[in-house]
This record gives sequence, structure tokens and C-alpha cells, in this order.
Amino acid sequence: MAELIGGLGTSHVPSIAMALDKGLRDSEEWKPFFDGYAPARQWMAEKRPDIAVVIFNDHGNSFFLDRLPTLALGVADRYRPADEGWGPRPVPVFEGAEDFSWHLADCMVEGHFDPLLCRDLDVDHGMQVPMELVFGRPEAWPVKVVPILVNTIQYPIPTPQRMWALGELLRRAIDSYPGNDRVVVLGTGGLSHQLQGARAGFINPEADREWIARIGSDPTRYRAMSREDYIEEFGSEGAELIMWLVMRGCMDAEVNTLHQHYFAPASMTGAGMVLLENAA
Amino acid sequence: MTSEDRIPDTPLLDRRRANMGYALNKMAMGLSSPEGRAAFLADEEAYLDRFELSDAQRAAVRARDWREMVRLGGNLFFILKISAVDPTPIREIGAAQAGMDLPEFLKTRLGKVTNG
Repeated sequence: MAELIGGLGTSHVPSIAMALDKGLRDSEEWKPFFDGYAPARQWMAEKRPDIAVVIFNDHGNSFFLDRLPTLALGVADRYRPADEGWGPRPVPVFEGAEDFSWHLADCMVEGHFDPLLCRDLDVDHGMQVPMELVFGRPEAWPVKVVPILVNTIQYPIPTPQRMWALGELLRRAIDSYPGNDRVVVLGTGGLSHQLQGARAGFINPEADREWIARIGSDPTRYRAMSREDYIEEFGSEGAELIMWLVMRGCMDAEVNTLHQHYFAPASMTGAGMVLLENAA
Repeated sequence: MTSEDRIPDTPLLDRRRANMGYALNKMAMGLSSPEGRAAFLADEEAYLDRFELSDAQRAAVRARDWREMVRLGGNLFFILKISAVDPTPIREIGAAQAGMDLPEFLKTRLGKVTNG
């Protein structure tokens, strides 16, 4: 059966992509941010996952408000980088783990999650940036991907509790998938930020550091919080952090936090990552 | 922003705002394509005519008044595409919404003392 080899929580801030595109990786402002990802990148290179399940939100690029799925699942064999207004970024096309996606679609529907299934989907920075942070900018991505898109833009957004349950279901799907694929799960978004309204520019580094420190070892509080709690503590767009709960819910109760990193502000956002492995 | 927002100064895209801002966000979404961007740049008024914007929304777009666009139902992820055809740094858009100049915004909100 397939094996879950680890879980990564990470920001997907678009200014990270812009910094890479402008060659600012080693600039004074950005070097400390990117350097903090080196251990996770090293881990990916050593562990060589076959499939990356990436949970992210579309930012008004693949979906518009005319029809906006609360939950969507990519079932395609490839995904192009989206045009977010500046033209598609020069990142490789993502090869889809089509067989696993359809297996997951079955598991989701049988488990009473009913996603929009997408066979022709461009993916925006929500997926591009996490992949670049841990795999760099290769000629071709070394893993196949499974995109899971969560609406975090138009209310009502799904609850944190639902995200955790989705993670538990994802784990069952991985554990029941025939073959020997090694699967890594990337929960993305956050950390604290707010882009809209008079509270724009809100960041909460203290809460972010607490999140980074505890999401692996003691996620109980975060699992119990309401959507409003997330918005108050992490800002309106910081509520994207609920997507890390899919990753955390997918892992064992007991995990080891192998690496963690925090940096603020990346543009207008608290940014960082954790890398988790099951303890047993 | 208004007393109807559940969390102060935090305009969530709920039913009320999504309805109010639909045409504005749709206009901005049109800038996702090279054709839309070219049309906007060639003749902004003619491009805006394609959408059923209110007079106030149209004026806010013309003035690049980010705070007003959000007040009128614009969501940043959509209206940000205007900054792709008329470059405006995201932090300036943030400062405008907070009602601050950029240095004050960077210092008081983001804890930065330079203009970086």
C-alpha cells in the first residue's frame, strides 16, 4: 500500500514567487526566508516522494464567483500554471497523479465529502509557491501532484473541524491505495495576514510562532477554534491556515516536528513552515 | 468597515458584499486574460462599459481608490489584477485601505522602519 512519509505546512505568499522571478533569492530582504527552507528541501531530496497532495485555495484565478466550489479535487494528468494577471509564470507544468486522484475522489464521495472534480485546471501561486520552496525550479517536477482546492475567499468557508476530518479521510485514502507510492501532504496558506479593509496589514507574529511550535505536538486548540477565531487571531486571509489542518489531520496523533521556520513580514504576511513525520 | 461586518474593519466576502461587488469583481477577473488586459489598456472606459458597474464603482476604479473599491464589494484577490495593468505595490494598496501613508503603514502594521 502507499505510504504517507510526511506532512509539510507552508505559506504560499505570491511575493515569494515574485522574489524568485526577480532573482531576489539571495537579497538581504529575502535570503533569511529562503534559507529557512533548506532543511525541508533537503528532506524532500532524500525522501523522494512520488506523490504530493497539495491543499490550497485558489485566489480568484481558476474559479470566479459565478460558480465557486467549496471543495475541488484535481483529477487531471497535468496542470498548467495560471495567468494571475502578469501572464503564466515560468514554472514547469505539473504532472498529475491521476490514478491516485480518482481513488481519492471515490474515497471522498464514499466518505461524504463531495468535491468538484476538475480535469482541466490551471493552478495559481497557492500551489506553485509551496512546490518551488521545497523542490526549487527543476526542468520537470520530481513528484506527481494531487491538488485539493478549498474556498477560503467567499463566505461561508468550510470549518476548521471539516478540514481536520478531510485530513483523516485523506489518510485512509493513502493507506488504502494499492502500490508502493510514497506520499507527502502539503497544507498551505497563511500565516497571519489581512489584505482587506481598515485592518489591512494586520500580522500577529506571536500567534504565528505559537502555531509553528504547536501544530505538530499539540494541535488541540487549533482544531477546536472557530472560523471567527482564526480571523481574529490570524487576520481575514490568515484564516487560510485551516488548510494546514488537512495536513495535520492526515498525520498520526503523535508526530515529530523535524524542521520549523518563521519569517515576518514577507510582503504583508507572516511566513513559514513546519515539516512533520509520524512518530512511530 | 461598517457595523454589518462581524469582525471590525474586516470586510469578509459574504452574501451582501459578494452581491454588491459582483460586477466590479467580474470586471477585474476579465484582466486575467491577455485580451482583457489589452482592452483595458487600450481604452479603459470602453472596457468598463462591458460591465454593469455602479457609478460609484466606476469612479473608484478610475481613481484607483482601493479602499473605496473594497467598500463597494470589491475583493482584493480580484481587484489586485488592476495592479497588474497599472502597477501598484501591494503594500501601497494595504496602506490605502488602512488610511495611512506607506511609511506609517509599514512601521505600525508590519513593524518595518524602512520602505522595504
